[in-house]
Amino acid sequence: MRELELFFGPQHPGMVGNFSITLKVEGDRILEAIPNPGYLHRGFEKLMELRNWIQNFPFVCRINVVEPDSMEAVYAMAVERLANIEVPERAKYIRTIVLELARLASHLFGAWAYANMLGFDTPAQWAMADRDHILDLFEELTGARVYHIYILPGGVRRDLPDGFEEKVMYFLHALAQKLPDYNETFFENRIFYERAKNIGKIKKEEAIEWAATGQVLRATGVKYDIRKVEPYLVYDKVDFDIPTREDGDAYSRILVIRDEMVESAKIIMQCIEKMPKGKVYERLPNPFKWKIPKGETYVRVESSRGELGLYMVSNGGNTPYRVHFRTPSFNHGLFILPRLLKGASIADVGNIMISLYVVAPEIDR
Amino acid sequence: MEKELKKRIKKIYKNTQVEFPEANRMVIKTKQENLLPILEFLKNEGFRQLKAISCVDWIEEKEFELIYHLSSLNSPLHIMVKVRIGREDAQIETIIKIFGNAQIYEREIHELFGVKFRGNPNLSPLFLENWQSIPPFRKDFDTREYVKKKFGEIPFVEEKK
Repeated sequence: MRELELFFGPQHPGMVGNFSITLKVEGDRILEAIPNPGYLHRGFEKLMELRNWIQNFPFVCRINVVEPDSMEAVYAMAVERLANIEVPERAKYIRTIVLELARLASHLFGAWAYANMLGFDTPAQWAMADRDHILDLFEELTGARVYHIYILPGGVRRDLPDGFEEKVMYFLHALAQKLPDYNETFFENRIFYERAKNIGKIKKEEAIEWAATGQVLRATGVKYDIRKVEPYLVYDKVDFDIPTREDGDAYSRILVIRDEMVESAKIIMQCIEKMPKGKVYERLPNPFKWKIPKGETYVRVESSRGELGLYMVSNGGNTPYRVHFRTPSFNHGLFILPRLLKGASIADVGNIMISLYVVAPEIDR
Repeated sequence: MEKELKKRIKKIYKNTQVEFPEANRMVIKTKQENLLPILEFLKNEGFRQLKAISCVDWIEEKEFELIYHLSSLNSPLHIMVKVRIGREDAQIETIIKIFGNAQIYEREIHELFGVKFRGNPNLSPLFLENWQSIPPFRKDFDTREYVKKKFGEIPFVEEKK
């Protein structure tokens, strides 16, 4: 059969985000897949070297569109480590709540993308609507829906508004009540099972060798989560589990995501229960005149897609000397994705890509 | 375990400093010729995941610093192996034989800093198209100058008058 070259994306219904893949196909089989990023390259890491420490906050959150809070948190934590800033206890709890709400929103967004791509329109719209409730909560808390710029060095920008805890609890209970419906229409649906089972399979050894993190690694049976390995914020004070699956295929990955949502809800409830009273922001001198002491640090958090790291170097000036983000999608999208696509059929390209949860702006930065 | 690892590394490889700057972090500063053996040694010790490769342009010292981030599934220790190479005609041996996913990180650094990785089969650009200037993440590349040259000068509001 004749070998053809097929351009998949950036404008393709099965593609989420501005990212393209060049496929070499023979009939329906993919012989080779060459990922082609760069549609969203804004050079943030370079631009951040030219701006004050505080001026970089509007940048960091824009590196990842679906889950900006983990970006803010990792940047703020790196600045705190370099400058030895202590964060008040209440701020730590609020940060954890925000991060877990963001994880929920991000997973719901991922479920929307996946369900929508495979044609499960009803659960897709539910997931999007539920994500919107979280965005409403964020709007009340921070004033913005997507890019919050809420977590700053020294704490968070403002305290929880009155009655916020009840609203979060109400939302979590409503979501928990919907879970059986989600299961029936999507997660445990026979059609979805047939479509996602044994697709994009990774063996355990391969996942480790290819430096997979997040649900890609956990779906192969490895219990590895930065929240447990190196607890940051208050993750050592709350009780939660790391869901894993054994098969390493697309279906296992989406089930890990579902179980993680349940764990996130548990963490938020415990945080609301245990949260102490007190101030949420350590008063710092004029942020436009900050000079961060010389040094370097590597900070990591568990984002909704895997390990998110930030390597930051300061030379004692009023701008960072170098920031380098270790984003999970960079590895998953550019290294693991082409290996999984080899030998798959064209209809499974979007299926595999979304099951790896590749977020395009994170690759390009 | 950390102390023991430090002892063994210092014993085998000369010209190597090992530090613990923070909890769960280990920094190994070494020379170019020791890089591959040390990475191989660490991989056999269980540090099987290459999380990233960072590059820092120390323009005053005329050097690039490459940082290899390794981590293990069994321990919270995160190891940063640092190598410095000259800024002029910067090149270093590739590590794709030890860590396969170094391929894409080396490609990124080659594109953004102009470091050449000997033995890496594919160093084609990832993000930029038809780039003609010096690699953009180097410290001597001025983004504002570049924009002025490329797209013409647009005066600031207060400069107009």
